[in-house]
Parts: sequence; C-alpha cells; structure tokens
Amino acid sequence: MTSFQSSLGDEEGIAEELAESQREISIAEFFEKNKHMLGFDSGARGLVTAVKEAVDNALDATEEAGILPDVYVEITEVGDYYRLVIEDNGPGITKEQLPKVFGKLLYGSRFHKREQNRGQQGIGISAAVLYSQLTSGQPAKITSRPKGQSEAQYFELIIDTDTNEPEISVDETTSWDRPHGTRIELEMEANMRARSQLHDYVKHTAVVNPHARIELREPGLDEPWKFERATDELPAETEEIRPHPHGVELGALIKMLEATESYSISGFLQEEFTRVGKKTADNVIDAFRDQHYGRELAWSPPSSRSTVTGATNDDVAAAIEAAVANKGAAATSAFAEGVVEALAERDRLSRSELEGIVGTVADAVEEDTGRTFGSTVRGNATEAAWRVIAGVDDGDADPANADSTDPADASADGDSPIAADLYALVDEATSTRKDDAAIRAMAEALAFRVANLDGEAYRIARDDLERLVADAATFVADQHDATFGETARENVVEAVWSRARTVPDAPPKVRTVAGDRDVAADLLEAMRETDILAPPTDCLAPITAELVEAGLRKEYDADFYAAATRDAEVHGGDPFIVEAGIAYGGEIPADGSVELLRFANRVPLVYQRGACATTDVIRTIGWRNYGLDQPGGSGMPNGPAVISIHVASTNVPFTSESKDAIANVPAIEDEIELAVREAARELKSYLNKRRSMQQRREKRDVLGRILPEMADKVSEVTGRPRPDIDGALARIMNNVSVEREREDGTVRLVVENHSDVNEQLEITDIVSAEPTDVSAGTVVDMDGEWFVQWTPEVASGDERELTYSVDGDADFEISVGGVETEKLTVNE
Amino acid sequence: MTTNTDARDQLIDLAADFYDQFAAGEIPEMELPTRTKSNIEYDEESGVWTYGDRTSVRSANSVNGARKLLKAAYTIEFLAEQLDEDRSSTLRELYYLSESWDNDEAQFSSQDESNDLVEDLEIVTGATREDFHMRPEESGAKVMGPLRLREQTNRGDRDIHCQLDVGQGGYQIPNNPDTIEFLENDAEFVLCVETGGMRDRLVENGFDEAYDALIVHLGGQPARATRRLTKRFHDELDLPVVVFTDGDPWSYRIYGSVAYGSIKSAHLSKYLATPEARFIGIQPADIVEYDLPSDPLSDSDVNALESELEDPRFQTDYWEEQIELQLEVGKKSEQQSLASRGLDFVTETYLPERLEEMGVA
Repeated sequence: MTSFQSSLGDEEGIAEELAESQREISIAEFFEKNKHMLGFDSGARGLVTAVKEAVDNALDATEEAGILPDVYVEITEVGDYYRLVIEDNGPGITKEQLPKVFGKLLYGSRFHKREQNRGQQGIGISAAVLYSQLTSGQPAKITSRPKGQSEAQYFELIIDTDTNEPEISVDETTSWDRPHGTRIELEMEANMRARSQLHDYVKHTAVVNPHARIELREPGLDEPWKFERATDELPAETEEIRPHPHGVELGALIKMLEATESYSISGFLQEEFTRVGKKTADNVIDAFRDQHYGRELAWSPPSSRSTVTGATNDDVAAAIEAAVANKGAAATSAFAEGVVEALAERDRLSRSELEGIVGTVADAVEEDTGRTFGSTVRGNATEAAWRVIAGVDDGDADPANADSTDPADASADGDSPIAADLYALVDEATSTRKDDAAIRAMAEALAFRVANLDGEAYRIARDDLERLVADAATFVADQHDATFGETARENVVEAVWSRARTVPDAPPKVRTVAGDRDVAADLLEAMRETDILAPPTDCLAPITAELVEAGLRKEYDADFYAAATRDAEVHGGDPFIVEAGIAYGGEIPADGSVELLRFANRVPLVYQRGACATTDVIRTIGWRNYGLDQPGGSGMPNGPAVISIHVASTNVPFTSESKDAIANVPAIEDEIELAVREAARELKSYLNKRRSMQQRREKRDVLGRILPEMADKVSEVTGRPRPDIDGALARIMNNVSVEREREDGTVRLVVENHSDVNEQLEITDIVSAEPTDVSAGTVVDMDGEWFVQWTPEVASGDERELTYSVDGDADFEISVGGVETEKLTVNE
Repeated sequence: MTTNTDARDQLIDLAADFYDQFAAGEIPEMELPTRTKSNIEYDEESGVWTYGDRTSVRSANSVNGARKLLKAAYTIEFLAEQLDEDRSSTLRELYYLSESWDNDEAQFSSQDESNDLVEDLEIVTGATREDFHMRPEESGAKVMGPLRLREQTNRGDRDIHCQLDVGQGGYQIPNNPDTIEFLENDAEFVLCVETGGMRDRLVENGFDEAYDALIVHLGGQPARATRRLTKRFHDELDLPVVVFTDGDPWSYRIYGSVAYGSIKSAHLSKYLATPEARFIGIQPADIVEYDLPSDPLSDSDVNALESELEDPRFQTDYWEEQIELQLEVGKKSEQQSLASRGLDFVTETYLPERLEEMGVA
C-alpha cells in the first residue's frame, strides 16, 4: 500500500534540508522549528492540516485499490486534547508497511514522483502523527483490516525522536466492523477556531471528489455532516512518468546521477528521462560537450581563402611532406596531396577535423602503398598542416597587435590567416555603418587574443569567447575610438561560435558528472537548451468537466452549472490540466463576492486565497461581459455564483512550502483563464436566456393585463361583445400556442409557432373515449384512457393541425412538452 | 367642416378596427406616417407640404405599444363622449382627466404624450383636433381690419366688426375659427405680423385703416386657429397674404408654417397652410438696403439657416438667395429695428415700398 507515501520528502527543498539537519538535531527540534512550513503552526491550523493529510491519504489509498472511497472523519474533545479519527474503506495496511508509511518522513522517495497525486500537496500523515505525539504524548493508534482477512490488526506507533525511527509499541488482533480499511486515531493539542476552514476543506473535498462519500463529525455539529456520492466512476488511474529533462533541478539531477545504473550520459538520459531517445540524447550530449569542453574555432584552409596572398595549398602540402620522413616519395606525396584535396572541399575546419582528415587520408594511403603511417607521423603531419592553416609558424610573435596603431598598413592578409578569417566574420556580423578600419582593428585584436589561447586547437567555451570579444572591443575602443556595442559584440560572438566545431571528445562519464557540481550544471544547461518533445499527459487524471459539474451540483443548490476541462499543457517539464466549473443562482447567497473554490490535484486549498494565481486570474477577467456584477470592472465579481478551479499536474507550483496558493506561472494562469472563460461563456448564454425569459414573462404579465383591458374598452366603445383575444396574445408573446377546436366529432389541435425558432413539441392528449382517425400520431390505451401523442416539429412562424375523431362528450386533458412553459399558451 | 357625428364616427371606426384585429387573432396596430423632416413631400396639387409614404406602425406587440393603444382606446371613448355631449376641453385637461380613468396603465405620463396621441388620432381618423373639440392651451391671436363676421359662441351668434366693434387689442380668434362666418369686408390684403410690439405699432399708426389691411397677430409660432383663419381669409375672401417677421432663421420658420405647414401637423397642411402667402420682410436684403441695426448671427443661427437650406419647404430660388445672402453678411435684425428710422418709418416707408414691390397694394 504505497499510497501513504510520505510526500514531505518529495519536495527537494525540504528533503535536502531534512537530510542535512537530521544528523545534528532531533526530529522533534526540527519539527518545532519548521512547523509553520508544515502547516502545524497553531492548534487551530494543526487540526485542519491533520484532517487534510489523513483524508488525502485515505482517498489516495482507496482509489489506488480501485475502491470507491468512504471516508469517515471524527473530531472529539478529550479533556484538554482533541481526538481525531479518520477511517477509510481502503485496502488496509500491514505491519511491514507501517514503517514505510510513517517512517519515511525524513527520507521520502529519492526523486520527485512524476505522477498526479494528492500527497504531492501534503506534508504527509507522518507529520500529523509526529505533531500528535509531540503535543499530547500519545501514540498513533492504527487499526487495519486488509481485504479478505477475518480479523483486524491494532497497532500503537510512536516515532522515536532520537533515532527518527517509528516504533510499534502495541501489535494485537482486534475486531472491526469494516470489512477492510484503515482507522487512524490521533490525539493532539488543538482547537476548533479554524472550524470554517475545516468545513470548507471537507465540503470542497466532496465537490472535487464526487465519487467519494465523506462523513464529518465534530463537536460543533449537531448532526453528522454527510456528503453523498454523486458518481460511481473512479478517477482514471494515472501513469507515473519519468521526469522530463526540462523539469528537473540541479539537486535532483545530481541525485539521479548518483543513483543511476547507467554508465554513460547517453544511457542515463535515455533511461531516466521521458521523451529522450538516442537522437535527443545525442543532441543533449553535443550541447553538453559545447558547455563542458567548449568548441574548437575553425579556420579557412588556404584553398578557400579569398585573399591571394598568404599561404597556399602548396605550402600545406610542402609542410606535410616536410613533416613526414622515411615513407618514400610516392607515399609521402600521395599523403600530402590527399590531405590537400580533402581540405579543398572544406570552407573551414578545426584542428580536430584536420586530425580526422589526416587520419582518413593516412588510412587510405596505407592501404594503397602498404606503408605504415603511425600515430607519430600522423601527429606530426597534423601539426605541420595546422601551423600553415592557422598561421602559427612564427611562434608567439604578434604582428597584429603591435602594429595595430596604423590599421591601414597592418593588413590582416599577409601574416595572420586567423585575422583574415576573423575580419570576414566581424565584417559579416556588424552593421554596414562600421568603418573598415574599426572592423580590421577588431579582427586583429580578436586574432591576437585567440592566438594566445592555450593549445593549438583554439578550444574555447562560449562564455570565454564572450569575455574575449568584450576584451577586444574594449581594446579597440581605447586604441581606435571605435565602439562595438553590446549587440555588435553578441553578433560577433554568434558569428564565431556558429562556425566553431563541437569537439569529438567523449563526454564525461556519469560518475564524473555526479561528482562535480559544475559539470552537472553544464549537463543541466545542455538539457535545458536542447529542444525536446513535451512530456506525455496521460499521467494526469482530470476530474472531467462532467464530474466537476456533478460535484458542484451535489453540494450547491443552484439554477445553473457549467464546467470546462482544458487539454493538457506543459509548464517546465511538468504537464498540467486546468478545469473550471461555475454554479449560479438558486440557494447560493446573492450578496457579496462569488465563492471561489481552489483545487490542486483534487485537494482543496483553504488558506492564502489572496496570494493564489487562481484568484488573480478571476480578478482580471471582465465579469460584466459574462453577466456578473463586478464593481469597477475588475476584481472579484459579485453575485450568487461559485467558481471552482482545479489544477492537476505532476508538479503543481506553489507560492510556498505550505502549499496553500498556486504560484503565478504564466502558462498556468493562461490555461486557468481559458478554462474559466469557457465555463463563463455558458453562464453568459444562460443568463442572457434567463434575462430574455424574464422579459418575456414581464411582457406576458403586462400584455396579459393590458390587452384584455383594451379589448374591454374597444368593445365598450363599439358596443359589441368582448372579442376573443387569445390568438392575438399568443402571437404577441412570440408564443407557441396549442389550441383545441372541436366540431361535431372532430377534434383539431392547432399548433402555432410564433417564436423565432423551430420548435419540437411533444403533445399528449388524454381522452376519455377511444379516438379514431388520428393524424400522424400514436394512440396508447391505458385502462380506459387513451393517450394520443404527437411530436410535431413546427417551424418558426408556421402552424400545424393535429386531428382525430372522438365520439360523444369525451373529456380531454392535454399536456405539452418540449417547449419552455414561458413560451407556451394552451387553450383548451 | 366635419360635424360632431362625423368625427365621433371616425373615432368609433378606429376602435372598431382594433376590435376586428383582436377578433381575427391579430395584434392590434395602427399605421401612421413617419413624422420627420425627411418624410414630408410637396403636394403639387395643393401646393402644400404633406407627409410622404413612409409609415411607422404603432403595434400592441410590445409593452410600450400596447400601453399606447390602450391609452388610445380610453381617449377614443373620452372624445366620443365629449362629442356626444357637445362639450370641449383643452389638451391639458385631457392630460389631467386621464388621472381619473379606472386604469393606471391608460394614464398619460406627460402632456406631450397626450398631445401626440391626439395628433395620432387626427392623422388616423382624418379629422382635426377641433373636430374632436380639443382646444390648445394658448388662445388664438387677434385680428384688426375692415371685416365684419359672425361667430357662433355658446352664448349664441355674435356679429362683430373687426375695427368698429373691438378695442385696441382687436378681435380675438376663437379656437375653432370654422365657427366664424364672414359677412362683409373692405380688406385689400392680409398682413400677418410676428411680434405683438409691431402689431401694436401698426394699429397705433392706423395702418389697417390707411391700407385696408387685415392685421393678423401671429404671436410667435402661430396657433392652428390663426393659421386656419389666415387660410380662410385667403381662400374665401380671395385676399393676398403677406407675412411680416423678424429677419432671422427662426422667423422664416414662422413664415414657413403659415405658408407650407409644419412638420408636426403636416397631415393638416391642406387645412392650415396658405401656400400663396408671401414673405414681406424683414429680408436679409433689407438689412443691407436699409442699413438696419443688427446682431451678428450666432452659431445656432447659422446652423438653423443651413438646416433651412436642406429643408424641402425652403428649396426655392427666393429663399436660397435670401438665406445665402444672410449667411454671407452674417447679420440678423428684428422687425422693430425699423424704429431706428423713426416710429412712422415702417408704416410710411418700409411696408408701402415692399407692398409695391410685391405688387400687393
């Protein structure tokens, strides 16, 4: 029974803190210090929190076992203390599971569990146990009866505050009338000052868990407060998913690295994260290498250089030939030519790439000539060719910088191929407004600094490159009075960096990364900057719009209900779904602002309403558009309405550890707004319809009074009998009128639709004698009464005649359905 | 002239229309011409402006419409009874009287509402307010001139000479001038005067005697009775009619309502308007010619003049020329500004010159 997970440990912050601190201080001390974060800062709140934890766990336990929850909560006064009893009809709990459930307070599961569950909200039942133990000195009394067992088991459990281990002090068999389930009894110092929050919590829990039956007894209630089940449908089971690379933090990543069985980073990524396959892992690793090793700057080989002066391919070939000894002229020259040929195909290359080319050509020449090109020869050849390409054969001499006082003379093309390459890049990266001298100076200053990099491979991390460019810019500004602003510098960095090559070095192994925080940070950065598919959303179990509505319907006697469930979205690495519901009218109090119910993963949030993203969103919506009163056009709307908002996620972001308010995350706020607006649109159309019905009723009332008076008056004036005005009345009120006319043995029901929409009516005439010749209807004989039924569709402005014959003085009783009573006029 | 019985029958017919609509299962309604400036048309035959073809329907299919028709039914009943008893009442009395009706919904909420309803009934029945024995609040204006007439009063018929038998104030026009019978006259023309001050000046100077003029005091926007009597002078006594007002856009509308009919009572134009009436002054040209003391045109004056250029009643060469001239000089003058040339200037110089120009006298 894993549902009694102690979720305290799931939270990185607290888990780490707890792990650190437990070695030095006792858990009692720690708890005392942190109880405000844990929701136990006062006796009033402590009781609510304990109920909340226990009920959340009870619901999770039953749901996981596929049982419709039946939760019983009882609070009684016992002397100076309060006794809290929570019973559920879950699968029960065994002795072996007890330490797991109550002992995990300090350790928790190592990683955040990527699953939507209630516990994620909570501090854990174990905190409640500890609170009770610390304030009352009483052990937690647990009764459990696993399914199918004839006897129940009774435990008393305390947490040893020195060792932080749970200890079972009593373990005996007992009898219990529930066939299966768990009963937890806690005694604690508390008070009922937070009664309204407690009631809210329980009521809102019932709203959001329409499949649960909940009963609450507390000293302030004369009768137990019962919340019945509104559906037999359990919430969909949720899949646990692995974390998404975009949703982890450094601490969690390090722990995962420490715990994984993978050896390589690629394996680790594919094994431990969702949405990471070979290709994505490779992308992450490339980014990781760039982060960790930096890139190698790439230069143009002589063949592709635009300037005619400087080294040529012949120089490269000559350098290679000079570097190769004792391989025979033919092989040597074939080798040199092969390299030069390969170079000719390249725009630019890094030293590692050159090394690769040399290796490939050497292999080919070895095969052709039978000569062996060993690693020393290959190394020498690479070295020699690179010196020509990068122009470093003059050692550390620095012509560019020394002579740069006169940029016109200090042309980059002669002695530094690097400067020439950089000149092209800087020129391309900066706006046309920069004059040529400034660009040349920048390229040279940069070339000088690049040349001073350690090693000949010009390997540099991006942030170092940024520093280097900034430094060069400062130098150019000082010496040449030419400014390279931030944008220009960024463009230069981007131009150089995008031409640089990811190094071929193998990424560090998992063990190395795990042991070095900086390297792990590089990996995390690489994960974040790589595009990765959003996480799957089947790990979420929304309540569904239908049940959101059912929950409201169950607890609020309103005239109108609407609900909406959005599609899943992703924030960070965590998928989330927002649902909203609205109840309006009926018994909901009309004065004051609307009631807002906030839920995260099916758990009501009862504190810190003002700090919650849901509240902020409700305030920004213009409710007047939706027919609710909103003083000043913003803020909480007024009126007889209840708005409920549910955010389900594998990781609901809260404003604080006490988890009372959802943080203002734009992606989540957007979805909240869309969900609420979706439900509000239905409210609007309902209110509009109601308003038009109201007007119709008013009109009906007024005209129903005036027209007969007018008819009386005109009959008085004209001296004629009072005219029949029913037809006129029906027409005036955009009505649907059903009128009976009887002539001899024929009954005609005339249906006139004066409304502006088509109407589908259900007309039943109950006749005391057998009807015949019924037009297009059905007749059912019910014990001497005949039900004549029609379901005519009458178009707007149209009329239909329904006829039948009946003998003698039959009695009739007509009933008309399918049309609002306000619109209907029946004249018999 | 419509008799009591005719008017009563027409009202009852309207009630019967409502009755028939009810009986046919229809929504009672009455159709009225749309009473806006854009819906008046020149009637070639009679030379007056009447309502065009556009109509609006007053239907009981809305709460407001039903209330209006209910009030109409009550008003019809009241008017029919009034005609039966040969009594009369004022529009204001009708408004107050509605308070006594047994139905709150039928009571008028303002006098405008009752006035409008009576006009609606006039239009639908084709009768006039006077036929219904409804009087306006304001009394008709006065006539001074060489005319002997006989008026039916409810104290019997009275023969009155409008110079010899009346005081300085002249003969008071009754609310229903159709009760007047013209006996004999020496009049040459009718002079309608806008302001009381100018009328008094003309009478004091003996203009009516000197020129055999019937001086009709309009008193601002003329009452229906005044317009009706003026039309009868023209039609029955064959007298030319000239209108003498201030020289500003609002006064041209006074002339317009005498000559062409007003928008609100366009349904009665044939009965009230005297299309042959001509404008004597003060013309914008006079302001210039006589160098009259003047005020600059205000913004609302300019707007009113421009609106008159759009008004179909003023779309004649004469008026377009005058209005454009006035807009150009940017001035307006009152009738009494003629006094700047002396008290006798108007009777001895201005009017004789204008009448001669117009070929009237």
